[in-house]
Amino acid sequence: MKLAALVRELEKTLGREAVLWRPNDVMLYEYDGLSSLRPPDVVVFPRNTLDVVRIVKFAAQHKLLVVPRGAGTGLSGGSVPWQGGILVGFARMKEIVEIDLENQRARVQPGVVNLDLSLAVSDAGYYYAPDPSSQKACTLGGNVAENAGGPHTLLHGVTTNHVLGLEVVLPSGEVIHTGGKSLDRPGYDLTGLFVGSEGTLGIVTEITVRLMRKAEAVATLLAVYDRIIDATRTVVAITARGITPAALEMIDGFTLRAIEEATHAGYPMDSAAVLLIEIEGLREAVEENAQHIESVCQENQVRQVRRAKSAEERELFWKGRKNAFGALGRISPSYYVQDGVIPRTRLPEMLEFIGQMEIKYAVKIGNIFHAGDGNLHPIILFDRRNENESKRVREAAAEILFRCIEMGGSITGEHGVGIEKINLMPYLLSADDLDMMRRIKEVFNPDGRFNPGKVLPTSKMCGELRAEASVGGIL
Amino acid sequence: MTVAADSAQMALAAILGESQVVSEPAACAAWAVGGKVPKYGVEPPTAECVAAVLKIAADHDLAVIPRGNGTQLDLGSPPSRYDLSVSLRKLNRVRHFEPADLTIGVEAGMKLGELQDFLGREGLWLPLDPRGGATATIGGILATNSTGPLRLRFGSARDMLLGIKVATTEGKLIKSGGRVVKNVAGYDLSKLFVGSFGTLGLIVEASFKLFPRPASRATWVLEPGTLGRARDLRGRILNSPLEPLRMVLLDSGAAGLFRQGMHSGGEPELWIEAGGSPKILERHAKDLAEIGRSMGIACRTMDELAEQQLWDQLINFERSLPALHSEVMIMKAALPIACSEQFLSLARQAAEGDGISIAGIAQPGVGIVHLGVWGVKLGEIAAPLVTNARKSAESLGGALVVEQYPAGFEGERDVWGAPGDLLPSMRGLKAVWDPRGILSPGRFVGGI
Repeated sequence: MKLAALVRELEKTLGREAVLWRPNDVMLYEYDGLSSLRPPDVVVFPRNTLDVVRIVKFAAQHKLLVVPRGAGTGLSGGSVPWQGGILVGFARMKEIVEIDLENQRARVQPGVVNLDLSLAVSDAGYYYAPDPSSQKACTLGGNVAENAGGPHTLLHGVTTNHVLGLEVVLPSGEVIHTGGKSLDRPGYDLTGLFVGSEGTLGIVTEITVRLMRKAEAVATLLAVYDRIIDATRTVVAITARGITPAALEMIDGFTLRAIEEATHAGYPMDSAAVLLIEIEGLREAVEENAQHIESVCQENQVRQVRRAKSAEERELFWKGRKNAFGALGRISPSYYVQDGVIPRTRLPEMLEFIGQMEIKYAVKIGNIFHAGDGNLHPIILFDRRNENESKRVREAAAEILFRCIEMGGSITGEHGVGIEKINLMPYLLSADDLDMMRRIKEVFNPDGRFNPGKVLPTSKMCGELRAEASVGGIL
Repeated sequence: MTVAADSAQMALAAILGESQVVSEPAACAAWAVGGKVPKYGVEPPTAECVAAVLKIAADHDLAVIPRGNGTQLDLGSPPSRYDLSVSLRKLNRVRHFEPADLTIGVEAGMKLGELQDFLGREGLWLPLDPRGGATATIGGILATNSTGPLRLRFGSARDMLLGIKVATTEGKLIKSGGRVVKNVAGYDLSKLFVGSFGTLGLIVEASFKLFPRPASRATWVLEPGTLGRARDLRGRILNSPLEPLRMVLLDSGAAGLFRQGMHSGGEPELWIEAGGSPKILERHAKDLAEIGRSMGIACRTMDELAEQQLWDQLINFERSLPALHSEVMIMKAALPIACSEQFLSLARQAAEGDGISIAGIAQPGVGIVHLGVWGVKLGEIAAPLVTNARKSAESLGGALVVEQYPAGFEGERDVWGAPGDLLPSMRGLKAVWDPRGILSPGRFVGGI
């Protein structure tokens, strides 16, 4: 279909203000947090489910590719329309449809920003638990697609543990409703299947989520270490003692200095690592756990444990963590962040390995871990314009992820496979595992028009990819 | 093996050994499901053998029903056909255990009680209290998404499950997820299998995240008098900072069952259990008493010695229903959490009378309600009872399944209710995993 005709048809259906097609306009939709590749042919902004159905049916009729996009904060290329087609933006579907505190549920449109939902229920004492670092910008629709995590998912679980129902427009244009406000709907758990399917099975148009009551007490500790090994050992010991903090983050010395210079969060400039530990719950439980954790820190040669004395100080501790990527952006033209996962007991070993990779590939790597989950975030700094360096960065990243697989872990804990890690899937999963996933995809998305080239390598790709395994091939 | 061994039987014997393929009718009768007796029964010793057995079953068009310890097999519609019972009993090993990582991988035939004993040595547990209790197997709990009141604090098995390995009708072993606590690489097939009632594949292995066992536990009982006041009371507790482990509401019928010999009468009771250090328990005792006082409701501590036994009895409450009446029906409603009390009173209004009695147990912080109904002529009115109860549940935004029809019920069974707009998707998924329709045929939603 010619672009002019495509635009004309879509404008007729959705209205002129709902369609972008000029090169300067669509160019803004060619990237996400990973990289930019090529723009979509056209961007559309539905207002409601019916609009989405119209778009999807139109695309089906003309065999056009469809890529959904929330805020474009993803880190694996999930919303990058790298083969062109129609990009469906959710900027106009950002209504909180219903807040039902008595049933501890909310219904939202996919364009609602993660933090906005928590703010909307905050005065009533509730919040939405999963809190990706991008929560000020990222949308709940994107969170559902990627099964997003965040620092506080250690205690309460990730997106899939908080999404209870979905309205989905399938590639055929058919609308289905999974789950709902109540649990245990009879039938297969399609909600569980759709969460984390990265837009390859359908487009979510409404989400029912669990709202949680804010805990009575919160303690935020900043543990400062002179040796990074002691910080990782503390993480292992906290887990082994059976204490589950709400969040347990580790930031290495290099990264915290960059953060400190950017945000003045009060992190000590001369330390080798800090742990940011948050405990929440009943006042008595928080006190007990804070004491336990402090003594575990002491047993592991902590230099100092500081406890936030006010909400402001707590905010400041977190501000540093949540703005870490931006802080590194100040000191490096480009960075590449990974999110491999390992069993938590292997953290000290993994950190040493990452140090070896820095030397082997002559790159600088900062480390921010969701340490309590074993979810790594090594951040490799480089200059995208330097081709040789970019190549070394990709190789270092791949080697770290291979090590995660060897340790019995995974190549992604919360960022998704997207385009970025599609080449590594055959190393994590067997040909049979992948084949089953492909067949499941075909049930919903038989001609592969929905978010093409994401998550699952084509079976033909597998053989070729094994020969040339790499990540972030589009850096 | 009988004299006239057929080709299916021979194929099974070829991989398992002749003595391992049971076909004596008397033995097979023990594996009956929904009144149907299989022709053969096998107990494969390994996951690979389970896969090989499924392949043979598919090649010979044998309808298979998987079995753990048989605690959940009365759930689901009766099978449309049933040839082969595949027991997972021999798959009862721990595959990996890292106490310091708080993760474990076990085979599907392991009983929950065995697992808890094993974990207990490290001060850990898998906080599940499903129907069948300690005797339920991990595979059975997952396949039926069986949960209990601990769900209030810890969620269901779905929320603790890190990865799964399943045997398919193609004779393959497929895995999804793994042993780490966060993983978004590829579709989450684990979720598909939780509550799939053995219709997609056979779960052979699962890994979980673990939790420290609470140092001590205590249970308090409050008697709100009416279901309306129970609703207020529950609301106040859920809106308090307290973090109980379990909370159940027994309606007057259920309270009567558990009070035999203890008290007279049958007023609704709210049981609340908390766990942790003595300080945490003290706090719960103090605040619960305070909440009770504000509503003029006494709060008593349950006898420590009787406590765990009472909870176990409650979880399998159908066993406490009057044994005199063989005609007992069990229904489970899943509702928006604030609707539990209302549903209990609707159900009571609809069911009671004509010699029919009803007992309801709600998990009012979760929205799950179990109803036990009994009476001499129950069989005659069971079908309209189900229809009415389902209508009530649906009008409140929930759903209802029948866990047990009265023995000898001959009317049309509607275990699951209507599947809404999901049937084509579910059929599509079923066709991927089980194209020949040999796994638990007819047992699931929409006749799947």
